Amino acid sequence: MGLQEFAAAIGSTALSTALKTDSWIVPFLQSVHILMIGVVFVSILMISLRVLDRVRVDEPLALVWRRFAPFMWTGLVVMAITGALLTIAEPVREFMTLSFRLKMLLLVICIVSAVVFGRSVRAAARSAPAAAGVEPPLPAGVRVAAVVTLVLWLAIIFLGRAIAYDTSVWGDWSPTVSLGGAAT
Amino acid sequence: MNAPSFIQGIEASAIGEWMRANVLAMPLVNTLHVLCIILVFGSILIVDLRLLGLFDRGRAITRISREMLHLTWGAFAGAALTGALFFSANATTYWFNTAFRFKMLAILLAGINMLVFQLVTFRSVGEWDRDAPTPRAAKVAGVLSLLIWTTVVVLGRIIGFTKGYDVPVPQNIDFDFST
Repeated sequence: MGLQEFAAAIGSTALSTALKTDSWIVPFLQSVHILMIGVVFVSILMISLRVLDRVRVDEPLALVWRRFAPFMWTGLVVMAITGALLTIAEPVREFMTLSFRLKMLLLVICIVSAVVFGRSVRAAARSAPAAAGVEPPLPAGVRVAAVVTLVLWLAIIFLGRAIAYDTSVWGDWSPTVSLGGAAT
Repeated sequence: MNAPSFIQGIEASAIGEWMRANVLAMPLVNTLHVLCIILVFGSILIVDLRLLGLFDRGRAITRISREMLHLTWGAFAGAALTGALFFSANATTYWFNTAFRFKMLAILLAGINMLVFQLVTFRSVGEWDRDAPTPRAAKVAGVLSLLIWTTVVVLGRIIGFTKGYDVPVPQNIDFDFST
């Protein structure tokens, strides 16, 4: 079964049909999805800017992580649920775009990197408990990782929006073209 | 029913023309608009949760709001600018869109809520800046702010689904679907 058939199969499930019965469901799910991106992205922005010494320099990094990580994880879970429901509601629209596929790839990279980063922050805080004003040394390359993470999340946000404009953005690279949607 | 001439003028302007002609203009402006709204909502959420006493109670409110000020206003300016670009592309359609009108009204209400908070409630901030419960007026401002900005996002999404559809269809136009 190809991806297109798989998408069509999801589209004909009872859940997919239920999500399409009322016209307000998709915009509602999208609104929650966008609000959660706000929660997740700003949490990551605060943590990254702390790594880059631009905000909350009076607080140890481990504390800033503890403050914002719960928001990030909660937001990610709600985002994953609403995102999954949106995909089930409109599987062909999602699976058959290059933007969606790239978005999922970058999302996996970002989640893995967040888990690794959180572990190293906690490990560093344990090995050198924050004495008054003494910051445990940051692992090498973590500043670069902070910038890369922000760039990746900006790309994820762009790709999320680009799903609606896949052929405009990617032209013939868009799988939508093979469905008969003309590249514009 | 025609839109006022200045609205028609905006749609006919060079910027409106450019927005419609460029294939990549819409996805890029759309992304920047969403990004700015995300930043406005997220940064305001941090301040609102602090006002409600649900987050970071040990950190001074004056300090948190100062830290967020540039981000919130910078992002709001970006959202207004990219929103204006959107508007210029289809000004007459937006003008008659009910969700668009309510969204503008909601942004106005958010501004009034913020002004009242800044000019009245915030004057006594010295008494509840940190390690103290915030006054009822501050909590009300925080809840209102969250409700209003959530509404702004929801209405923005509804515009995307109703723009061009909830306009009364002119009877005397012959649609040609052959092309």
